[in-house]
Amino acid sequence: MKLDLDEALRYLGAGAGAPEDLRTQAAQAAGELEAALTPKYTYRVLELQRRENSFSMPQAGLALTGHTAGVMLAQCNRAVLLACTLGAGFDAMLRREQARDMARAVILDACGSALVEAGCDAAERELAERLPGLYLTDRFSPGYGDLPLELQPLICAALDTRRRLGLHVTDSLLLNPAKSVTAILGVSDRPQMARVRGCAHCSMRESCAIRKGGKRCGV
Amino acid sequence: MASEFWKNGLLFLDGAMGTQLQKRGLPPGADPILWGLDHPDALTDIHRGYIAAGSQVIYANTFGASPRKLQRAGRDVDQVVGGAVAIARRAAGTSAKVALDIGPLGELLEPMGSLRFEDAYEQFKAVALAGEKAGADLAVIETMTDLYETKAALLAVKENTRLPVFVTMSFEGSGRTFTGCTVASMARTLEGLGADAIGLNCSLGPDQLAPLLAELCLNTRLPVIAKPNAGLPDPVDGHYDMGPEEFAAALLPCLEAGVTIFGGCCGTSPEYIRTLTAALSGRQPAKRRYLEQSFVCTPVTPLPLTGVRVIGERINPTGKKRFQQALREDDLDYILEVAVAQEDAGADILDVNVGYPGVDEVRMLPRVVKKLQSAVSLPLQLDSSNPDALEAGLRVYNGKPAVNSVNGEPEVMARILPIVKKYGAAVVGLTLDQGGIPQTAGQRLNIARRILAAAQRCGIPREDVWIDCLTLTVSAQQEQAAETLKAVRAVREELGLQTVLGVSNISFGLPNRGLINQNFLIQAMGAGLTLPILNPNLGEMMDAVAAFKVLSGQDQQCRAYVERFAAPPVDTKSAAPSAAAELTLDDAIVRGLKADAGRLAKRALEGESEMELVERQLIPALDRVGVDYEKGRVFLPQLLSAAQAAQAVFEVIRASIAEKGGAPVKKGTLLVATVKGDIHDIGKNIVKTVLENYGYEAVDLGRDVPPQAVADAVVEKHIRLVGLSALMTTTLPAMEETIRLLRALPEQPVTFVGGAVVTPEFAAQMGADYYAKDARASVEIARAVLG
Repeated sequence: MKLDLDEALRYLGAGAGAPEDLRTQAAQAAGELEAALTPKYTYRVLELQRRENSFSMPQAGLALTGHTAGVMLAQCNRAVLLACTLGAGFDAMLRREQARDMARAVILDACGSALVEAGCDAAERELAERLPGLYLTDRFSPGYGDLPLELQPLICAALDTRRRLGLHVTDSLLLNPAKSVTAILGVSDRPQMARVRGCAHCSMRESCAIRKGGKRCGV
Repeated sequence: MASEFWKNGLLFLDGAMGTQLQKRGLPPGADPILWGLDHPDALTDIHRGYIAAGSQVIYANTFGASPRKLQRAGRDVDQVVGGAVAIARRAAGTSAKVALDIGPLGELLEPMGSLRFEDAYEQFKAVALAGEKAGADLAVIETMTDLYETKAALLAVKENTRLPVFVTMSFEGSGRTFTGCTVASMARTLEGLGADAIGLNCSLGPDQLAPLLAELCLNTRLPVIAKPNAGLPDPVDGHYDMGPEEFAAALLPCLEAGVTIFGGCCGTSPEYIRTLTAALSGRQPAKRRYLEQSFVCTPVTPLPLTGVRVIGERINPTGKKRFQQALREDDLDYILEVAVAQEDAGADILDVNVGYPGVDEVRMLPRVVKKLQSAVSLPLQLDSSNPDALEAGLRVYNGKPAVNSVNGEPEVMARILPIVKKYGAAVVGLTLDQGGIPQTAGQRLNIARRILAAAQRCGIPREDVWIDCLTLTVSAQQEQAAETLKAVRAVREELGLQTVLGVSNISFGLPNRGLINQNFLIQAMGAGLTLPILNPNLGEMMDAVAAFKVLSGQDQQCRAYVERFAAPPVDTKSAAPSAAAELTLDDAIVRGLKADAGRLAKRALEGESEMELVERQLIPALDRVGVDYEKGRVFLPQLLSAAQAAQAVFEVIRASIAEKGGAPVKKGTLLVATVKGDIHDIGKNIVKTVLENYGYEAVDLGRDVPPQAVADAVVEKHIRLVGLSALMTTTLPAMEETIRLLRALPEQPVTFVGGAVVTPEFAAQMGADYYAKDARASVEIARAVLG
């Protein structure tokens, strides 16, 4: 699976205007990473029940409260729970690279972030094929807008990610392996507008060096 | 064992528990173990259903019990695990065996997570004791994906109960578990550790597991278990795609591959077991073939010894001042660097020796083993004469290691061989004894025979005995070189064992040692040496090995040789030779040219002192890069490349000072840690890399560090500056708590904080003295505080 090199370069603070030697190094790291591992994902399409101020997914035993869920799922009667990970293999590569060359390690780290996003994109394309005639909302994740991080263990339990992907949630709500994403997508019978724009809705919000530097990446 | 029931003919296990519980009312999200305890009739019903269907072993409803989590829920492991086993016991009566079912604890072990191996062991021990007390007939460890966690569980059951143990792990179609473990690594590690039967369960259907089971059968002498899923689940409706008939039919090839113990996992039911037992009853076990081979491994690197394999010798303090300094200063990062360099140079196995006066080997060896296996994927050979250190190291090793060494002395063998056996290791036997080193090949061969016999009496298989015929210094005992080669040939031809030699001993005291070493290596490989111990960083030695592998046919179609020499490895980050003539140290650092920076630093030291080099050249160059980084002209990787080039300069300086026996150049010590709850530490590591290359010493407490541990280390090491990082909003409270503890100390250190979610406002709120927006900012803070 191919990752978006410009995205990786953006994570490094450089972006499309990155110096040529950095781009070359990143391209090499990306190539090695793509050859070494493929993102794995799992998802379930579940019923969505509308409550007064929230939604619930009874088959997964979870409730979605707040503004983000309200806006994203306004026109949906089903929703997809999705988890995607690069697995423990990536973390092992990154530990090794840190022992060998820290500069290459940060490049690998950025490529890993881009690759897990590429995995989510692939899952989304697969879903679109499996649900002909239906429309998916943009994906959104716990910690994103006002969707609580506390959903993390519930989503992982509903998807049985420990068994299916080797994906765990720690007591402090971190996903482990590190390069992992959980997300929700609404399913509607009407076309969905792209709503996710800007830092407030970005899953990288918490760890984004660009945002901390007071800039925006433009996605 | 009174009756080893799993060894006679075919044995049938049960099927899925979870879906059966759901059928009887287990709500989504509820804990199946606790729900089962509250609904004993439902459990009994399920167990009896399986027994009626033909299951001879039923699994108690204890899968995934974690004493830590039970304790948090206010429950007692004896009561919960014991209760579930007792229900199964009553349901089974005498008509089936009851297995205590042990699954993953639900937390990742080190190095992936922060659960320590020792803590996992304690949790499994509590479960095992409770299960045995409640009347289990055996223990099954199942659905494992981490060999390390599996080892902790297996040791816990074997060391604390008399229960036989079955172990099954879950693999993907790729032939690896989620953590990368291979089938061969699993099989040979677990058999070595004393499992009674091993196999695969969950994750895939029987058709996809069949080839993996065939591979497993080749790699073990133990009975093999298949407990697959009913095919694969549909992601949209969750339904498994294989019916009972199809399931049973797909297990027939597994029987033919050698599997004798059968059951079902997710998606199966008593109906599947009934169909399966009907289909297989009356069938005879297939004849098994075992691939007898010498073998060591880590989970991800299975290493059959089917030709020459190089053992890297560099992790050893003997005669290496810089390594000794690292041991004294507890600098495990340096030891890891030495290991990674050998792996990159092509070593197959790494010898690990940390014995040095003043170093507590019993404490140090397991720490180094853990550090190495966190980032190096090569099998290790633990090298010590201290049995306690060996045991401590073997215990925490993940995979099948080797031990260096025993010799023909009966007391030495009596001390060490039982440990080798217990942990399923291979062992190097030195052909010497209480009488010293025999002068003839025949006498050495005799000692080799004695060592082999003693090992076999201990239960160590012959392929795990490696013989070192001993290299003596040719300048002192010239005739011994030929005698050693003769002994190698005899051990190889007459005993068929692996042979080890420390090659470079041959040339002590001679000029041009490399030439003698290379020639001796070539002759020794010709005589049958399979495991040379050498410095893999020396190109001429690895060239000789590469050539030998071609001439002996080991390197098929000369592929590896061609790859090695067709495109000679070029350091892509080295300046062109013409430019190198004018290259200054400043340029080399700014451009991140590590090798050039080291070389130029050596030259600079001819004219100035270590401190002058640091202050006049190194720091100004780093500052230049730092300013460019702040201005957005260079980016993080380039900042780090410059830091690493600076590190090469520091290595030259350290070596120079270690040679003179002087005090290291250090601008002051600070402590860095990623706070409790946080496991992502690359940011902290970046800060550390940059600061170390400005000459500061960083005491790194790692990640997921409890607040008290930070405070204790600050007091113990008289630290004046502490850097803390946090990635998640959920771990900011731990950062705040750490700062609170530090501010309560009589000599409170200066604190700075950083990390993804930390902002200047948070930093001020928490009472931190400084906020570091990036690694570069931390340099300015260190300057202000430490000078």
